[in-house]
Amino acid sequence: MARKNTARKTLKLAPVLDLNEATALHEKLLALKGSSVEIDASAVERIGALCTQVLMAGARSWKEDQSSFTFSQVSDAFIKTTQLVGVDIAPLMAKET
Amino acid sequence: MDMNEIKEIFFQECEEQLAELESGLLKLNDGDRDPETVNAVFRAVHSIKGGAGAFGLDDLVSFAHVFETTLDCVRSNRLEPTQDVLKVMLRSADVLADLTNAARDGGSVDGARSRQLITELEALANGELPQPAAEAVKAAPVAEAPRPAVNEEGFQPVAFSFDEFEASEPPTIEPSTFEIVFKPKSELYSKGNDATLLLRDLSRLGEMSIHCDMDELPALDRMNPEAAYFSWKISLKTDKGEDAIRAVFEFAEWDCELDVALAGDASAGAGEELPMQPVPFDLSLLDEEAPAAVAEDEDQSAEQPRDLNDAAVSAAATASNILQMAQTAARAPAETAKTAGPAPVTAAQAAGQQGASAATPTIRVDLDRVDRLINLVGELVINQAMLSQSVIENDTNGTSSINMGLEELQQLTREIQDSVMAIRAQPVKPVFQRMSRIVREIADMTGKSVRLVTEGENTEVDKTVIDKLAEPLTHMIRNAVDHGLETPEKRVAAGKNPEGTVRLTAKHRSGRIVIELADDGAGINREKVRQKAIDNDLIAADANLSDEETDNLIFHAGFSTADKISDISGRGVGMDVVKRSIQALGGRINISSRPGQGSIFTMSLPLTLAVLDGMVVTVANQTLVVPLTAIVETLQPEASAIHSFGASQRLISIRNSFCPLVDVGRILNFRATQANPVEGVALLVESEGGGQRALMVDAIQGQRQVVIKSLEANYTHVPGIAAATILGDGRVALILDVDAIVAASRGQSLKPEMTLAAAG
Repeated sequence: MARKNTARKTLKLAPVLDLNEATALHEKLLALKGSSVEIDASAVERIGALCTQVLMAGARSWKEDQSSFTFSQVSDAFIKTTQLVGVDIAPLMAKET
Repeated sequence: MDMNEIKEIFFQECEEQLAELESGLLKLNDGDRDPETVNAVFRAVHSIKGGAGAFGLDDLVSFAHVFETTLDCVRSNRLEPTQDVLKVMLRSADVLADLTNAARDGGSVDGARSRQLITELEALANGELPQPAAEAVKAAPVAEAPRPAVNEEGFQPVAFSFDEFEASEPPTIEPSTFEIVFKPKSELYSKGNDATLLLRDLSRLGEMSIHCDMDELPALDRMNPEAAYFSWKISLKTDKGEDAIRAVFEFAEWDCELDVALAGDASAGAGEELPMQPVPFDLSLLDEEAPAAVAEDEDQSAEQPRDLNDAAVSAAATASNILQMAQTAARAPAETAKTAGPAPVTAAQAAGQQGASAATPTIRVDLDRVDRLINLVGELVINQAMLSQSVIENDTNGTSSINMGLEELQQLTREIQDSVMAIRAQPVKPVFQRMSRIVREIADMTGKSVRLVTEGENTEVDKTVIDKLAEPLTHMIRNAVDHGLETPEKRVAAGKNPEGTVRLTAKHRSGRIVIELADDGAGINREKVRQKAIDNDLIAADANLSDEETDNLIFHAGFSTADKISDISGRGVGMDVVKRSIQALGGRINISSRPGQGSIFTMSLPLTLAVLDGMVVTVANQTLVVPLTAIVETLQPEASAIHSFGASQRLISIRNSFCPLVDVGRILNFRATQANPVEGVALLVESEGGGQRALMVDAIQGQRQVVIKSLEANYTHVPGIAAATILGDGRVALILDVDAIVAASRGQSLKPEMTLAAAG
């Protein structure tokens, strides 16, 4: 999985991922398509279901493309919210850290 | 979105909810025990609480909460809604309205009153009877802190040993496991709601495991980031019951598919094998984001703006949800009627009635826009009339196609005008509802027992009329209760029901709205009125007045028959102000009173202040418009029917009765000599004071709808003239004030009365 040499990009998530942010996040993710991506969710204070959907759709698409889609850092709020809505991100956590 | 805008919407919704609340409570007061009524009342308070929470209006929230708690007791049949209970509730509704207004306008409220009511409400919720004095001590500690949880209401902490506990019935519901299927629709998100928040609230009810169904989630490049794809299967172990679960989804009910079932039910069986993820207990971290967070840390940190945003969004969601609720409510009866198939007429009618009481889908439009439209349509009508006229003048051979087109155009403009006017038409209900509060307050202050009966609340009238109606009506209601009704003792002595009745009715009558205010009090004391009028030099000591004339004396300025000047009414600026405001609206007011049986005030108001149907007549080469509503019939007088009477009066005999002839041209000073009745046309009009008069005009030109242009706004008031209009040929015509003309014909001067009206 460790393919640090290839084009690996980092996407830092905004603190508030609500309805307004969903479209922006969707565009940002689409722009990164084709390269491995590392999501930095350390600043997330709040994430709504829409943004969770976008991230999960991203994870799936990346998997189909067989490139890496991982969460490098996550905030407590991010973890708790994903647990609350029943989305398991453990498989997506970056392995090398 | 602009925060203030959303807040304004919330307050508008509040107003509707408060109206709903009051009418529901009044229905209950009248003995209505329909659970739907109780629910409606409960919902109203609940919605206000929800919205207020979103805006952090703590006073409002805590009061609404206690109120809601008590209402819930009624809803669950733990509290019988007796008259005494409803009295407390109605007063609570008033306080809730005050708190809402205070929150909107920043005013202050009577804290002692709301605290007192909180105490009383909690006492009620605790199953105590409303005896404030005796119960105050017991309920006081409870009043300190409003109870937080919705489900514990009604249970006071009671010391008990566990042995007893096992023996007796436990006060909580056995914890049971529910299977919940929750599938949000895209609308849920677009309204600013979030499934995450709902799930968070749900998780607070008990032990929860969740499975997120992502099957519908498409690939990233094909997805709509604002659509709903996730759905959830939740297993929740809670002792709060199904109602509590549904309550979580209350505001999202129409934006999601929701299925709640007890575990083990057949319907929930399918989900068993799905992997469930347990939800951690400690979600306190997420609480900070709760829009309704009762902020423990009051610091105005950087968090503030975003919290406000949150609040705004959820309030908007609340607002739109309320709208949706109304829509659904309106739809339901329609569907009932439909499914009934070849339904008997009664069922359809019942559904229709329900539909009428429930709100239909509405939009909010700026009043200015409507007014602009109305103005333009007014111009269109004038223009259309001008066009018709010029075509008729130029087209001697009368090409039928053009004429037909014009006729259609005329019909269309007429229809457009009617529809536009209907936009402004509003039921008088809100004004009537306000009156019930006023009656309650005055009754409390005067120690009288009063019942307000309203009829015809759905009668519609122009919004301007409604807005301006509230003040005179308030005044009259106060008068009716304060002066009109007797004290309970006196009533009993007179052999009447100690509870007085004030009846407020509205109805349409020949193109006008008639509002009647009747009390069953003592009626007008004519001797007293007469004496007072003589004392105030309003009439000569030996004046011979009819009963009707005596009654109408109370409309004179500076007239008050109350022995002592009370807080409530009787400052001498009473009925004359009322009369002026009614006249300013183009209306008339009348009184009829029967000693010992009460008085009836009748107001007749135009439905709209923008157009009227008029008869265009010629008087001494002037074109005048006579409002059609005043005209009973028109006739060509014959010389044999004209009889002279006194020095200058003339009568006309119509079907064996005599009717005074009124020479319009003479009264308006269009000509110096009397016209010959045989050469003209007589318009038989009904005057407000009762009785008919024959207005004499030279000729009738025709009948048409005219757009009223205020004379006061453009020129100045002219006695005997109500307003002006522009005719098809572009000329200005004056609209006759029939009542003023009739009054003038009785020998009263045209001027003083009219200057009074102009001043109002």
